[in-house]
Amino acid sequence: MDIIIYGIINSISLALMALGFALVYGISRLPNFAHGALYVVAGFITWTLLKAAGLNYLLSIILAMAITGLIGGLLYQFILIRVRGMAISEIIASYAMGLAVLEGLRWGGFKGMTYTLPVFAQGSIMIWGVPVDYHRIIVVGIGAAVVLFLWIFTRSTRVGLALRGMAQDERASLMLGIDSDVMAVVAMVLGSALAALAAILLLPLGNIVVEAGYNVLILAIAVCIVGGLGSWFGAVLAAFLIGFAQILTVAYVGSHFQMVVAILAIIITLILKPSGLFGKQKELEERV
Amino acid sequence: MARARELMAIVVAISLLALFCVMPKQARAEKPIVLGCPLSTAFLYGWDAERGIKLAVEEINAAGGVNVGGVKRPFKVEVMDTRDLEPGVPVSEALLVVEKLILEKGADFLLGGPVRSEAALAAMPLLSKYKKISIVSTGVLSPKYSAMVAKNYDKYKYCFRIHGEAKWLVGEILACFKELKQEYGLNKILVMVQDVAHARGAGKVISKVAAKKGFDVLGMEVFPTGTSDFSMGLLKAKRGGAQILNIWMDMPESSILLKQWYQMRIKALPFGSTLAAAEQPGFWKATEGKGEYTLCNVVNAGNAPSEATPWTMKFYRAYTKRWGVEPEGLGSSSSYMTVYVLKDAIERAGTLDSDAVVKALEQTDMMGVYGRIRFNPKSHQVIPALDPEKGAVGSVIQWQAGKRIVVYPKSIATGEIKLPPWMLK
Amino acid sequence: MEQKRKERLDRGIKVRSDTIYALMSVKEIAYLVLPRLVLICGLLIAPLVMPSMYWQRVISIVCIYCLLAISFDFLAHFVGLVSLGGAFFIGVGSYLAAILNTYWGLSPVLTIPLATIFGALICTILLLPCLPLRGVYFAIVTLMYPLALARIIEALDIFGGTDGIMGVTSFPGRWVELYFMVGMVLIFLFGMRRLVNEDIGLVFRAVKDNDQAVRASGMNVTFFKAIGVCIASAMGCLGGACLVHIYMWAGISQFALDFSILPIAATVIGGAGTLVGPVIGCIILVPISELLRTFGTLRIVFYSLILVAFIVFRSEGLMVYGQRKYHQFERWVRV
Repeated sequence: MDIIIYGIINSISLALMALGFALVYGISRLPNFAHGALYVVAGFITWTLLKAAGLNYLLSIILAMAITGLIGGLLYQFILIRVRGMAISEIIASYAMGLAVLEGLRWGGFKGMTYTLPVFAQGSIMIWGVPVDYHRIIVVGIGAAVVLFLWIFTRSTRVGLALRGMAQDERASLMLGIDSDVMAVVAMVLGSALAALAAILLLPLGNIVVEAGYNVLILAIAVCIVGGLGSWFGAVLAAFLIGFAQILTVAYVGSHFQMVVAILAIIITLILKPSGLFGKQKELEERV
Repeated sequence: MARARELMAIVVAISLLALFCVMPKQARAEKPIVLGCPLSTAFLYGWDAERGIKLAVEEINAAGGVNVGGVKRPFKVEVMDTRDLEPGVPVSEALLVVEKLILEKGADFLLGGPVRSEAALAAMPLLSKYKKISIVSTGVLSPKYSAMVAKNYDKYKYCFRIHGEAKWLVGEILACFKELKQEYGLNKILVMVQDVAHARGAGKVISKVAAKKGFDVLGMEVFPTGTSDFSMGLLKAKRGGAQILNIWMDMPESSILLKQWYQMRIKALPFGSTLAAAEQPGFWKATEGKGEYTLCNVVNAGNAPSEATPWTMKFYRAYTKRWGVEPEGLGSSSSYMTVYVLKDAIERAGTLDSDAVVKALEQTDMMGVYGRIRFNPKSHQVIPALDPEKGAVGSVIQWQAGKRIVVYPKSIATGEIKLPPWMLK
Repeated sequence: MEQKRKERLDRGIKVRSDTIYALMSVKEIAYLVLPRLVLICGLLIAPLVMPSMYWQRVISIVCIYCLLAISFDFLAHFVGLVSLGGAFFIGVGSYLAAILNTYWGLSPVLTIPLATIFGALICTILLLPCLPLRGVYFAIVTLMYPLALARIIEALDIFGGTDGIMGVTSFPGRWVELYFMVGMVLIFLFGMRRLVNEDIGLVFRAVKDNDQAVRASGMNVTFFKAIGVCIASAMGCLGGACLVHIYMWAGISQFALDFSILPIAATVIGGAGTLVGPVIGCIILVPISELLRTFGTLRIVFYSLILVAFIVFRSEGLMVYGQRKYHQFERWVRV
């Protein structure tokens, strides 16, 4: 029973971390390796607004999400747009910017383990004999709501449909008058805001450190690959797969092998079915 | 053409920058004694050493400097970031920094680091090659360090360690366990370690010895660095009825563990070592008080307030005044002492020659911040004890009502171990 | 309105020194030989003119990164496989050399060649299942391999676990170490440049351009990719073996990401597709990185910003730019 509950919590956490990355890749085929940096930056911005400027928590959250979205958009507009289409250059450029941001934070004094965000609700309750704290329940709730929101957004609103169109076939959507550059910026802003949301939900459980950026990046990539680059539903499903695999490993094999599981999942997926569970790339495009 | 010009401008700028960095080195005077400090300055176990060393150097220089055979010379600190505590950085970076300090900055002695045990072990052959004395004072808890000095004395005699190492820490922790058993009847232990060499080694040793002494060791859970979810481990503790959680983790995610422990009201006392998150004074605010009752071994007295020797609180207050925060981390007091011990050894040897200073260091016998400082002549490890008059004293603290209270050893304790309210029911 | 366009023409001397006509006079031969001569002499003289022993150590490190960078460039631009796993090759090579040295007591003269050959074989076998993958998938697998291998060694606690293997013998002397490394870099650099113009080099380039066509010609694409990976990993393993003997120690941190990223940065800055570019990139990047060490963490920030600037504004790299300027001249002409 505790496996199911904590499996769900772990999976939704992974899904939140990966959604931003999956969104940006799915729409503009841009692997945003600055995802981890945006996650951490959002955490520090919230902390600064909350503690240093003394604003209301909810206001800080909304502002932090907006600012991070803006940073992502600017990052795309001024740097990544110039290397669009060249896969290696995109990876290197976004990774280098992420690295610059993370190390810049470290140099700017954000080091040590004393930066934390307060949880949304204190206390815990027992669900079926398993103690679960309120904040984690809120995480699951908001996570599920975000997935649902994205699903509705991409099916009913104009912008959402345009994003989906671009993800499906860029040329066709260009012909229909959807400006791919504008859509790419929108995707990037949304992806960064999602990263910020994930940070705000998950960081109160621990503390804000720069190293978390690198870990989040690896986990997000793992989830997106297993689920299939370009498929949001696949990313969510893969999050559940990896999340439960990790929890089961800890419960039955030993906590030692948690991270190995994630990395092995990537390697096995790439060897057996490179485009992941729900990837949209054809067989011929992925292997010889 | 404009493009070529901007490229030229960049090249010129870079070469000017390069010249700027290379030139001043030649013009350095010979007078100061250069202390090279290869530290991971972006991490707690790096900057605690940096601050301790700088404080000591400032005090010594203000008092006139070091008497080297009749000439008073000041100390000069050269700190270089090794980044060796960062996960993705190879140890060869730390080794490069050590070499740069020795070969370029002309370091006469190396203090403080490298901080990671792996890097420190790898640096030992380098130090013997260049015949430079190194006194590590933070991080490096692996017993292998002093074991290697003892095994191959002639090669590694330049390496000293002035803070407690893992084996001694295990002993201190077990003594606390015994007290907990006597006072509160706590008997079941779950060991939770981070997947790094010193933590795993120490965890294994504690499991074995505790089991021999009659404790019920439920097991050892190893968590890879970067784990962000400890729910299953904590649930295992709860199911098994663990009463003490022995935590060996210096990764920041340990605060996730502690917060979850509090939320879940697990009926076990968290007892940590190298629990970096809990060693900082800011821990209380950072966890909004949820870190209360956490026990933590801070390795040497002076890192938390106590009256081990008259010097302890003098150091504590000087540090707080200088840096605006109380001593944090496990390397503050030991790094501070390192400089004084070195000064004492140089003055007795009357020269900076490495072999002479090695002999002088082996004969060190001074009352320091955390007790009597003496080195084991074979392994160059500082001699530990439970009584500050006899040797270097450690400290185990517990967070109570926002303060770090020293609860062990009894000779310097300022308070008693308390249990969280939900455990007393 | 008058419109102008930029025209690029080969320089006269380039045309005159094409193929066999190069032998016409000393000037043509000099035109061809000069850049290469400068590079070779520069690399050979560098260890002698360095101001201190520290900088000589930097040269050795530069050479190791050069080997990695050449292998990356070769794989990425001549075989079409983007490999983000330089760390993987270094790690395998270094562990093999350390094991051969400490467990079987072989001297560096034997461990280095053995580690290179067996390392290449092991890397190729491990990468074999991933070879049919294309594009970004291969890149991600090679990125994950060093991480996975590091975790496995850590988890199973073999080969010294997190402590690593210590007490590896070092090179017989400083100059041996330096000139061996410089020699290896030069041999592999010019060897690779020759290789890509041989028959097998043509097949590699065909695989990169259009692997379906190669398949249609009846050649096994995976086989040729394997050979390419074997050569590249041999270079990486050589670098790893040398690293172990320089620092007398091997450990998990040799799977660090730094070894994967710097060759890529060097290739980008130096000029992709020309095997010389990565070497130049390393020669620039590593010493600058050392010089900036006084700035602490800010060094990495500078480093990343320089990298981004190069990628975005001059992504062809220095060498390609340089070659163009050397071989061609530009002028504005009226349309």
